[in-house]
Amino acid sequence: MSRSVHRLVYYSRNHVRGPLDAALRDILRASRRNNAHAGVSGALMFNAGCFAQVLEGPRAAIEHTFERIQQDERHGEVSLLSFGEVEGRAFETWSMAFVGGSKRDAGRFGDIAGDSGYDPSRMAGDALFATLHRLVLEEEATGAA
Amino acid sequence: MHPHHLEPQPACRSGLDDALAGLGAGVLVMDGGGQVTFANPQAAAFFAPIQPIGLDLRSLFGLSGVSGGSAIAAAGAATPGAAIRLGLPGGQVLDSRSQPLPCGGAVVTLFDVTSYVHDAELAARDPLTGLTNRRGLHAQLSRQLGPGAAHAPSLAVISLDLDRFKEVNDTLGHAVGDALLVKVAERLRSATRSSDLVVRLGGDEFVVLQSCSDQPGGAEALATRLVDLLGRTYVVLGHTVNIGASIGIARSPDDAAEPNTLLQRADMALYRAKAEGRGTFRFFQDSMDVAMQARRQLEIDLRRAVALRQFDLAYQPQVDLVSRRLLGFEALLRWRNAARGPVSPAEFIPLAEEIGLIVPIGEWVLRTACQQAADWPAPLSIAVNISPVQFRGKRLVGVVSAALAASGLEPSRLELEITEGALLDNSAPVLEALHALRAMGVRISMDDFGTGYSSLSYLRKFPFDKIKIDQSFVRGADTDAEAGAIVRAVAALGSSLGMRTVAEGVETPQQLSRIQGAGCDAVQGYLTGRPMPAADALVLARQVSGILETAGDIA
Repeated sequence: MSRSVHRLVYYSRNHVRGPLDAALRDILRASRRNNAHAGVSGALMFNAGCFAQVLEGPRAAIEHTFERIQQDERHGEVSLLSFGEVEGRAFETWSMAFVGGSKRDAGRFGDIAGDSGYDPSRMAGDALFATLHRLVLEEEATGAA
Repeated sequence: MHPHHLEPQPACRSGLDDALAGLGAGVLVMDGGGQVTFANPQAAAFFAPIQPIGLDLRSLFGLSGVSGGSAIAAAGAATPGAAIRLGLPGGQVLDSRSQPLPCGGAVVTLFDVTSYVHDAELAARDPLTGLTNRRGLHAQLSRQLGPGAAHAPSLAVISLDLDRFKEVNDTLGHAVGDALLVKVAERLRSATRSSDLVVRLGGDEFVVLQSCSDQPGGAEALATRLVDLLGRTYVVLGHTVNIGASIGIARSPDDAAEPNTLLQRADMALYRAKAEGRGTFRFFQDSMDVAMQARRQLEIDLRRAVALRQFDLAYQPQVDLVSRRLLGFEALLRWRNAARGPVSPAEFIPLAEEIGLIVPIGEWVLRTACQQAADWPAPLSIAVNISPVQFRGKRLVGVVSAALAASGLEPSRLELEITEGALLDNSAPVLEALHALRAMGVRISMDDFGTGYSSLSYLRKFPFDKIKIDQSFVRGADTDAEAGAIVRAVAALGSSLGMRTVAEGVETPQQLSRIQGAGCDAVQGYLTGRPMPAADALVLARQVSGILETAGDIA
């Protein structure tokens, strides 16, 4: 099997019904299990309006994971921002962060980011991640409007 | 292996033992109490290592892990009936029949039908996606709708084609196309319930058979979900792929109760969904059936018209606005059908394009127009419309050159009018053909300018000789200033690009003076000449000037 790493970046509308924090913990748990089994790692950004995710790993595993996301009713209007082979991983494990404008939501979801070891400085280093961050914020604002 | 006897039997039974052993089927004999008293070697092998002798069927099936045997076991094997299918833990499938014996007890025969069942399953399955195939669909439909089925089951046939799948196959190859189909099948499975049947008919055609009593709501909800789900981006073998889905729905018993009619009607609805922009779904309506029948009849008549040469050309004059001289004619196709009367080209040309008949029709138009124009005493131009479909076969250049050679017409007198539709998809081979035609001396016009998507960019792709401004702008200039401004702008554009401009559809002297003021080079319309038969065009060709002076009389 090839050791090459593919990276896929997308964002989607959050169609979670019911409590978001429970759904998010569920998603993070599934992501970590996936990491152990298929060598997929990455980062998940979220707020009340949308998800943005970076997936890194073997091509077939990334394609499989993305397909599962496309079939997941909790995601809507999935926009694929990039997909291709990369030099190496930017995220060795799973990290997760709340990136939203609302202080109340930050209070509710902030601890998930803390638990996951999310490092915003690493995200800021890459133009694509910076764009992703901006899109997620914009999406939240649009969704709230 | 030996037959298993409860106790030694008389010697005269040995011939019977041999016969039973050689039967190719398992045989169990039960006494009146339901206990197995005899098992031939095949029967013993089916249940090994459990010894059948002395057990009743319930215990035998229970101990050896046989599934599906409760009916026969409960009946104590004493009642005859249809074959009951048994599954052995190793995967073997048996058909069992029981026959009561006159002296009490029963004989149970066990036939191994594993390979038959396996073959039937394989035959009903699409090997690529693992979905049910066309044969399986028909079997299921006749089970649910055929004679003996439960009365009027509520069933929706959801017929589905992928949009742009062919492009994926063509540009990324069949391996990606096949992997994509597997992903599509997964999405179909994920969106449907276990009571629904998902079918791949072949290529990119799928059917979902939805058993759901809440109709049409159930079918609508599923179709909505499928259009969304299948239209989401795929990542396949390292490629990002975007396709869509078009869906047609027919329901039983409302739309049809017979399987083939039901499938046909779902396809009619699918046809409509595609015609109305793809990426959407439509329910079958009776009007679609009427429209399809009318279309079918039109197709039959049109094919006959080609065979019987029921076509004529009418010629509409084009007049130079400066010299006021007749420049030439545009050849317009006319179809005269005794039963239908004159049929509008707007009605039959789209169908002729769809079924490819436009190619022989277009060839006839080219040959006839060149021949008739060659008879004119003055070297007037002759414009012929070319359909985008005629560029696909790569024969166009040969056909034009043959028409010119056969008629002896000077190539520079022939003008081919194309719409931007010809350049819309796959423009490289079209441009190649246009350059080859130009090299022969033939002129090329851009027809219906301004009605398409991006006409301006097409003007950069090829140095057209002429731009024909669509009549909607010429007539629109009567009431809105914008249309007038557009006519002026196109005239100026043509003049700076070195392309002549022709205003189409001029009907009134006011329109004529307006387009003259706008700076157009030539005019074509009812005011300066209606389409006329070839004989009249010949007469007009003899008096090549003075049209504009008499224009008032014609109007």
